[in-house]
Amino acid sequence: MSTAGEQDAGLSLQEEHESKTHRTKRRDGDRQKKKRRNERRKGGTRAGEGEEDLQAVSEKRERSKRKRAKSKQETSRRENNEEEEAQLTGGKGTKARKDIRNEKTRRMEKEEVREVEENVDKGKKKQGSTKKGEKKEDGGKQLVKGKAREVKKKKHKKTSEEDDDEEEDNDKDVVRLECLSPEELEKLKEAVDERKKLIQSLRGKPWAMKKKLVTLRESQEFVEKYEGALGKGKGRKLYAYKVLMTKKWMKFQRDFENFKTACIPWEMKIKEIESHFGSSVASYFLFLRWMYGINMILFGLTFGLVMVPEALMGRPYGSMPRKTVPRAEEASAMDFAVLWDFGGYAQYSVLFYGYYNNQRTVGWLKFRMPLSYFLVGVGTVAYSYMVVIRTMARNANESGVGDDNSFNFSWKMFTSWDYLIGNAETADNKFASITTSFKEAILEEQESHKDDNIHLTRFLRVLANFLVLCCLAGSGYLIYFVVRRSQKFALDGLENHTWWERNEVNMVMSLLGMFCPMLFDVISTLENYHPRVALQWQLGRIFALFLGNLYTFIIALMDEINLKRKEEKIVKFNITTWEASLYNGTVSENSTASPVTIHPADVPRGPCWETMVGQEFVRLIISDTMTTYITLLIGDFLRAVLVRFLNYCWCWDLEAGFPSYSEFDVSGNVLGLIFNQGMIWMGSFYAPCLPALNVIRLHVSMYLQCWAVMCCNVPQERVFKASGSNNFYMAMLLVILFLSTLPAIYTIVSIPPSFDCGPFSGKNRMFDVIHETLESDFPPWFSKVFSYASNPGLVLPFILLMVLAIYYLQSTSKSYREANVELKKKLQMVISVLFFL
Amino acid sequence: MLMVSPAIALAFLPLLLTLIIRYRYFFVLFYRAVLIRMWKDCVTGLSREERAFQYVLTHATPGDPDSILDTFDVWCSKVEFISNIGPKKGKILDRLLMEHSPLTVLELGAHCGYSTVRIARSLPLGARLYSIEMDQRNAAIAEKVIRLAGFDDDTVELIVNPSDEVIPQLRSDYNLERLDFVFMDHWKKCYLPDLQMLEGSGLLGKGSIILADNVLFPGAPKFLRYIRKSGLYEWRIHRATLEYSKGIRDGMAELVYQGIK
Repeated sequence: MSTAGEQDAGLSLQEEHESKTHRTKRRDGDRQKKKRRNERRKGGTRAGEGEEDLQAVSEKRERSKRKRAKSKQETSRRENNEEEEAQLTGGKGTKARKDIRNEKTRRMEKEEVREVEENVDKGKKKQGSTKKGEKKEDGGKQLVKGKAREVKKKKHKKTSEEDDDEEEDNDKDVVRLECLSPEELEKLKEAVDERKKLIQSLRGKPWAMKKKLVTLRESQEFVEKYEGALGKGKGRKLYAYKVLMTKKWMKFQRDFENFKTACIPWEMKIKEIESHFGSSVASYFLFLRWMYGINMILFGLTFGLVMVPEALMGRPYGSMPRKTVPRAEEASAMDFAVLWDFGGYAQYSVLFYGYYNNQRTVGWLKFRMPLSYFLVGVGTVAYSYMVVIRTMARNANESGVGDDNSFNFSWKMFTSWDYLIGNAETADNKFASITTSFKEAILEEQESHKDDNIHLTRFLRVLANFLVLCCLAGSGYLIYFVVRRSQKFALDGLENHTWWERNEVNMVMSLLGMFCPMLFDVISTLENYHPRVALQWQLGRIFALFLGNLYTFIIALMDEINLKRKEEKIVKFNITTWEASLYNGTVSENSTASPVTIHPADVPRGPCWETMVGQEFVRLIISDTMTTYITLLIGDFLRAVLVRFLNYCWCWDLEAGFPSYSEFDVSGNVLGLIFNQGMIWMGSFYAPCLPALNVIRLHVSMYLQCWAVMCCNVPQERVFKASGSNNFYMAMLLVILFLSTLPAIYTIVSIPPSFDCGPFSGKNRMFDVIHETLESDFPPWFSKVFSYASNPGLVLPFILLMVLAIYYLQSTSKSYREANVELKKKLQMVISVLFFL
Repeated sequence: MLMVSPAIALAFLPLLLTLIIRYRYFFVLFYRAVLIRMWKDCVTGLSREERAFQYVLTHATPGDPDSILDTFDVWCSKVEFISNIGPKKGKILDRLLMEHSPLTVLELGAHCGYSTVRIARSLPLGARLYSIEMDQRNAAIAEKVIRLAGFDDDTVELIVNPSDEVIPQLRSDYNLERLDFVFMDHWKKCYLPDLQMLEGSGLLGKGSIILADNVLFPGAPKFLRYIRKSGLYEWRIHRATLEYSKGIRDGMAELVYQGIK
């Protein structure tokens, strides 16, 4: 190395640089070779042993440790090398180099002087030469730098070698600068410009990072020093001021950016999780946050336009029968058990449909309460549709189009790394998963050529689907059975049954929703699908399960609604007789007070099926939330604690072996969130408190799950990228939104509201409130126009037009997509051609 | 009275099924290694190792180590379960021995002689194997198996004593200077103390290889943690499954002693 250094010293600056890069390259090459050899050895041994399950956690850990140690060794070795080199050359080599450099500078100075002279003579020719220098790329830059250094040195010589105080030095430089000839000034300016250009283009240079940094710092210092100096007199001060202000401004902007990031809720938390667990887990949290935002708006609508006006301006509690707890329930209305079931005082409050009054306007603002209630109900759903579809459209633009199958291996090669991972262990997992994905891809490629045992695989897949179907049918029947039983209990009177029996439906639904996906997961190992395909199947199955459960629940609710409506008819008849008896003045059993003032608690009332539906949904949400949290605490936290601390005194390794730590289940969590939202959409018309509850739930689960993930989960063995999965979630959300608005719309349109509770009592249908408003609050011509507009003769052509427009837009987008695919293919062709060149 | 309804109990059925399917290998292992053993112990009045030896004696060719090993494998996978090193992991062991051809080998835990025969058959000429077994009855069977395979006292020396008593005496009693290869397959709890004892005795030289079986299942977490931290070894874990079982993951730790740098 020492000889090389001396040789270098003998050569010109440019050559020195080149040889340096060569040397580093050579060293790099050696290192790579070594690594490759190691890897080959490793690979060979592995293949020889025929080991299985290469990517299990502990070995990865161990491997990463080893790798780290190796790299440390390597760096230390390299450092040693460099040190040796430095020592070897240090004695005389560097000195010699310096001397030679000095010589060179002197020579160059001479050249420069000559150049300047030439410039004086020939004027523009000089610029050409510098441009030529520039074109020489690297070496040219180096040369220019050298020149700049020369200029600096010259100045230093001119200013009486005082280096102790930079400021003074600078000033003197500047003072001297003014005395410089215009050519030299010009030169200096050019050098500064060069530097600036260098700084800008530095990022794209194929240099080592260290060199880049050094060059950057040098150039920045240079520019800073001489840029201000180039201006003159007052202008210079102004310039300095301007520079200062731009710097301050940039700093402020940076701070503001940081502030903005800090203002985005949970951004840092999610980033941290992303760095530890990869983007698929983070995508769940992003989804959760997005959902939280939507629920905040839903909550704002229902809270601000429905609950608060009724609470503030509506008639107070106890003023009428629907706002009073009935006499029979009064004794237990404040019990915790009753409140927890959302009975008692909770039932007769703004939280539920039944509490709202049907008076047209409330308070001095003349707030149209029933209209507002109806419009908010419709508006929340419409808003959700809008947001989901808009997000889908935005995501669709981001996700790539075209087939991903044709260049499978090159895609894998160049795009499989997840650049957001910042944790060593996750990176190891990712590394292992990429390796396995390569292996799997190769295997697949091989298997696509030969199809042995295809019948067995097919049979196993059919069997797995059969098992899953059995499981789905079983769970559906269980829920149906439970709901039927609960109806029987309800007929007997709920007080005669235990808490378990009363909450049976919710418990069974939550438990099935929790355990059946695990069973599906186990069954899906039979199928031997690729992980991504397996995940899709798993998602589809869980989706079917949840949907089946939800719809069984809704059908059961419908039955119950019909029961309640029968009951209502009887009650209505009884009330008329009761009123008649009251006005006749005869003594009846259930009223002891005088006929003039009857306490609202004593008035008989109908069963109000809307409140019942709302209560059912609220209970379902609460039990679902509780199950989620308890599962989290037991399944993740308790397990992690046990594994961690029992491992000291257990007969096998708990961490690496049998229970191990849990992984974060992205698919299950996402689907849970989606179905939870579906229930909110379904139930919020009958229980305005649902969005509020959901906001609380999402808020808590954000913190709880963030904590649980960071504290007791390990990164997945298969870390896969989440790109494209977001739109999958969104599509599912859209389906659920549609499916959950169906029953709500059905009940609104086809079932008459209860006669004595809720904002629409006394009307034939709930949407009559719109007719009423049109008739009484708008001028007559408006209602006329509206009636014309709702004429089928006008509506049908309009719908036809819309369908045509949709068809047109779709076909255009299709053609665009095809064009895109074509372009992509061409691009790939070009890239492959470049590769071959 | 707190009565859980049958429907809620039924909802736990999927969980139960999941657990049974997911951990079926462990249940099978429990059945084969514990229940069958207890049953046979009661019925025959012999120990498990004695039964295995009887089978080997009647089915294997004397003097042929391969045949003896195969017979053991058949017995362990078809009849009963003994935690030998097994054929798959045994291949790793064979390969390591072939590659390094050690001259002095120490085996901790001979059990019924399977691994001893396995090691002895791959040793180069003039090499010597010291095998330590704590249990008297097992050692007797191991002795018989080793002689049956045709290895004499010069190749294999069986020491019947607990390993923590033998290791400090190795240098003085057996005139050992250095151990080229150590195979650990005794009590998992003893892995760490024995390793430290070996380090303390100075028998390990640069390049000595230590192979520890069953480090993942039943597992020796303290041992693994120690070798991760100590920095005296270059180490790796060979992944495999537990002997005579498909679904249980296990591994062998291969340590190469580097000494203090």
